[in-house]
Amino acid sequence: MQSANMFLKKILRSPVLPFAAQHGMKKDLLPLSRTLSLSLCLKQDNSCNPEEKLDLDAWKKVMKSELPEVVGETVSEHKELSTLAAARETVEMWRLAGRLVPENITEEQLKTFVECSSKSAQKKYLKFLHVRELYKKNDKRKMDEKRERRLETKEQASEADEAKRNSFICLWASCMDRAYSWRAAQSMIFGQPLVFDMSYEKDMSAREVANAVRQMVFSEGCNRRSADPFHIHFCNFKEDSLYHKEFIKHYREAWGKLLITVTDQCYTEVFPKDKLIYLTADSPKVMKTFDHDKIYIVGSIVDKSIKTGVSLARAKRLGLETAALPLEKYLLWNIGAKNLTLDQMMHILLTLKDTGDWRKALEFVPKRKYCGFVSKPVHELKKTLSLVNTLKLGKRREELQKQFAKNYSKKLTRK
Amino acid sequence: VQPPEKPLQAEEWNRLKESFRSPKIFETVMFNSMVRCNSPIDVAKSLLTYVAKSDGDVAYTLLVKYLALCVQQGQTSEICDVYDIMKRRFKLIEGGAYNLLIRGLSNSDQWRMALTLLEEVKKIMIPSRTNYESCIKAASRHQEMNLAFELYHEMLAKDLVPTLDVLQAFFDFSRGMKGAELQKELFGMLLHLRENQIYPHKTFMWSIKLWFESIPGGNWRGHLTNIKDSGQCPVCNHQLEDSDLTEEEYNNLREKIIRDVIHGTDPFRKTSPQEFQAFQTFVENRLPFDIVIDGLNVSHIKPRKMHCENLFDAVNCLAKENARLLVLGRKHMLIDSSNWKREIMKEIQNKADFFFAENISEDDAFLLYATLQSGKHCKFVTRDFLRDHKACLSDSLTRHLFRKWQRGHQIAFASSSKKMFLSVFIQQPALCYDCVVQTTGDTWHIPYKDTLDEKYSYRVPRKWLCIQQK
Repeated sequence: MQSANMFLKKILRSPVLPFAAQHGMKKDLLPLSRTLSLSLCLKQDNSCNPEEKLDLDAWKKVMKSELPEVVGETVSEHKELSTLAAARETVEMWRLAGRLVPENITEEQLKTFVECSSKSAQKKYLKFLHVRELYKKNDKRKMDEKRERRLETKEQASEADEAKRNSFICLWASCMDRAYSWRAAQSMIFGQPLVFDMSYEKDMSAREVANAVRQMVFSEGCNRRSADPFHIHFCNFKEDSLYHKEFIKHYREAWGKLLITVTDQCYTEVFPKDKLIYLTADSPKVMKTFDHDKIYIVGSIVDKSIKTGVSLARAKRLGLETAALPLEKYLLWNIGAKNLTLDQMMHILLTLKDTGDWRKALEFVPKRKYCGFVSKPVHELKKTLSLVNTLKLGKRREELQKQFAKNYSKKLTRK
Repeated sequence: VQPPEKPLQAEEWNRLKESFRSPKIFETVMFNSMVRCNSPIDVAKSLLTYVAKSDGDVAYTLLVKYLALCVQQGQTSEICDVYDIMKRRFKLIEGGAYNLLIRGLSNSDQWRMALTLLEEVKKIMIPSRTNYESCIKAASRHQEMNLAFELYHEMLAKDLVPTLDVLQAFFDFSRGMKGAELQKELFGMLLHLRENQIYPHKTFMWSIKLWFESIPGGNWRGHLTNIKDSGQCPVCNHQLEDSDLTEEEYNNLREKIIRDVIHGTDPFRKTSPQEFQAFQTFVENRLPFDIVIDGLNVSHIKPRKMHCENLFDAVNCLAKENARLLVLGRKHMLIDSSNWKREIMKEIQNKADFFFAENISEDDAFLLYATLQSGKHCKFVTRDFLRDHKACLSDSLTRHLFRKWQRGHQIAFASSSKKMFLSVFIQQPALCYDCVVQTTGDTWHIPYKDTLDEKYSYRVPRKWLCIQQK
C-alpha cells in the first residue's frame, strides 16, 4: 500500500495536473489519473487490463480544444491571399515540417523563391538561404562573445598598466594601407599587367557572377598586399553590368579609388596580341615557366555547371596563345576539377612572379584536390597511385585502378 | 532507440525521455524509429498524448510522422482525424503531408476523399505524379475507368510523366471490359510507350498480354518470342519496322545536329568556322560515303596493339565490299611515332578517305555530320555512346530521333577475346529493325525488359511480346 501512495504522489507532481488545472478540466482528468495510479499498482498481480484505461485519443481533444472556432473565416481568407503571402505560408509550413528553411525571409527573397522554375530549385534556394542564415547567426554569436571578452580584459588592463611608452604611435592599419597603395600605384606605372576577362556574364547565373566578383575582390586584396603587385586590368567591363553591381556591393565608395585599370575595351585592343597568353584549364599547352614579358589573361568565370571549353573558345576566336598550369606534372591529382578559383590563380601567379618556384606556387591548390607532389620517377609513382587507390576504393575495383594508373603514366610520358 | 511495445503512461515517457541523451529531439527520434519498426499505433498515440499534455500542443512534424505511421498501417479513421486536426490547426498543409494523406486514403474505402484532397492540392501547387498515381489507381480499382482516364489526361496536360505502375493499373483493371473508347485509350498508352521509347518490364508485359487476350470477341493471342536478326518475328512471320527516319525527320535531325552539336553556343568550342568550312567542302566533294569511321576510337580497341595497326585491321575488315570509307582523325596521327607508323598510315590512306582535324577539335561532331550528309544508307563506326552529343540537342523529340537513328546506323567493334593473338573483330552491327512498340492494326510487337539483365539504357531489349489477331 505504501507503494501505491508513492505512486499517487508522483502522479500529483506530474505535468498532467497543472495542465488540467490550466484548462479547467480537473473534473475530467482527476478521476482518470486516480484510476490510472490504481491500475498501475495492480499491475503486479493482474496484468491483463491496465493499459485499457489510458485515454489514447486525449491528444486529439487537446489539439481541438485549443482552436478558436472560426474555421470558416480562415478558409475564405486563405483564398484571398496574394501569391507572396501564400509563398510565405508555404515556407512557414515547410519550416514546421522540418525542412531546411530560413527563419526570416525578405520580400525580395520570396520573390526569387516564387520565380524559381521548379520545385527542386525552390528547395535548393531555401536551403541556401537557411545555411547562410546559420552562418550569419554563428558569426554574430562569436562577435558578441568576443566583445564581452574584450570588455572584460579591458577592465583588467586599464587597472594594470597606465603608462607604456613606445616610440611609434599605434597607427598600423592606415599606415599599412598607405604603404600598400603606394606599391599598387607604382605597379600601375611599372608593374606587369594581369588581365581579368569580364566577358562571361551571359554564361553565368546571378549566383555565379556574385561568386566570381567575390573571388576577384579577394584576388585584388592579395595582390595589393604582395611585395610586387600586378597591374590589374578588368577588360570587357560593361558599365551597369551585373559584375559592376556586385563590385559596388563589395567596395562601396572605394570602388572609384581602386588602383586598377577598368576598361570596356578588349585586351586585344589594349595590348599587342603576341604578348597575350590566355590561361585556361582546357588548353592543350602546358605552362613551363612564368614569363615576365607576357601578359596573362584570366577568365572571370565561375562555372558550376561545367561548361568545358568556353574560355578556350574565346581564345581561339581571337587567335591568342593559351596555356594551362602544369598541375599534372607537379601534383598527383586526386579529385576535383582542374579549374581553380580566381584568388587561387592570383596567389599562384604572384608566387611564380616572385620566386619562379612551381612547388611553392602550387601550394595554393586546395589540398583536397591532390595527394601529393610528384617527386619520384614515373614507374614508382604508378605504384603509389595504385596503392592509394586500392586503399581508398578497396580491392574490388583494383582492375579499374590498374587501367587508370597505366593511362596516367602514359599521359605523363607523352608530355 | 527501440520503441516500446505497449502504450506508456506519461510518467514512463518522461523517464524514457530523461534517459535519452538529447531530450530535445526525443519525440522526433522516437517517432522515426516507430515508423521504421512499424510500431502499434497505440504506442504512437500514447506518446502524442504525453506530448500534448506536457506541451499543450503537438508539433506539425510529429503529426506528419504519426500520419506516416497510420498510412503504413492503413488506419483510415485515424488518417481522417489527423487531416481534420491539421485542417483546423494550420492555414495550409504542405506537400509532404498531402502525399501521405492521398496515399493513405486512396487505399481505403474512403478513396473519394483522396480526390477532394487532390483538388485541394491543386489550389496551392502542381500535384506530384505520385498523387495522381494514387488517385488513378484508386479510381480504376473501383472500376471508375472514366474518372481514371480523366485524371490521366489531366496529368499529361500538366507535363507529368506517368509512372509505369499507372499504365499497368489501367491494363490490369480494364481486363475483360468492353468498349471501343476504352480500347482506344489503352492503345494510346502503348503508343505513348512507342513515342517515348519506353520498354515495359516483365510484369507489365504480362498485364498487357492478359488484357489483349481478355478483350471479348477480340481473338487476340500473345506469344513471347525473340526477333531474328533479319527483323522477322518467328511467331507471325511479320517483318518489323526498320529504324529509318522519314525524309522530314532526317533533314530535321541533320539541321539540329549542325545547329546544336557542331555550332552550339559558340562554334569555337568544338571546332572553328574555318575548319568546319574546310570539312564541309571536303565532304561535299567526295560524297557519298558508306561507312564513316572514328579513327581514334577504333585505334584503341586492343590496348596491346599499336594504334595504327588497330585502325588498319578495322579498315581492312570494313573495306571488303567495295564500300566507300571515310576515316576521321586528328593531325597528330600523321606524325611518325611509336603508335602511328608512317608507312602503315600511308597504306590505310590508299583504302579510305581521310580527314584530319586539329588536335584540339572534336572529331565526333564531324563524324555525325559526314554520316548524316551521306544519306540514309551510311553507317558509322565508334564505340562511343555519343551521350554528350545527344545531350547538346535542345528538345527531347530530336533526342529520340537521334537515338533511333543511332540504333540503326552505329556499328561498334569489340575485340573478340582476351587472347591477343586473335586478330578477329566482333562486329556489332547496327540493328536492321527498330526496337520500339509497334503495330500494324492486327498485330502488336512489344519489346520488354527481362527484369535484371537489361538495366542499361544503351542496350535495347532482345525479348518481344508478339500479339496477333486471329
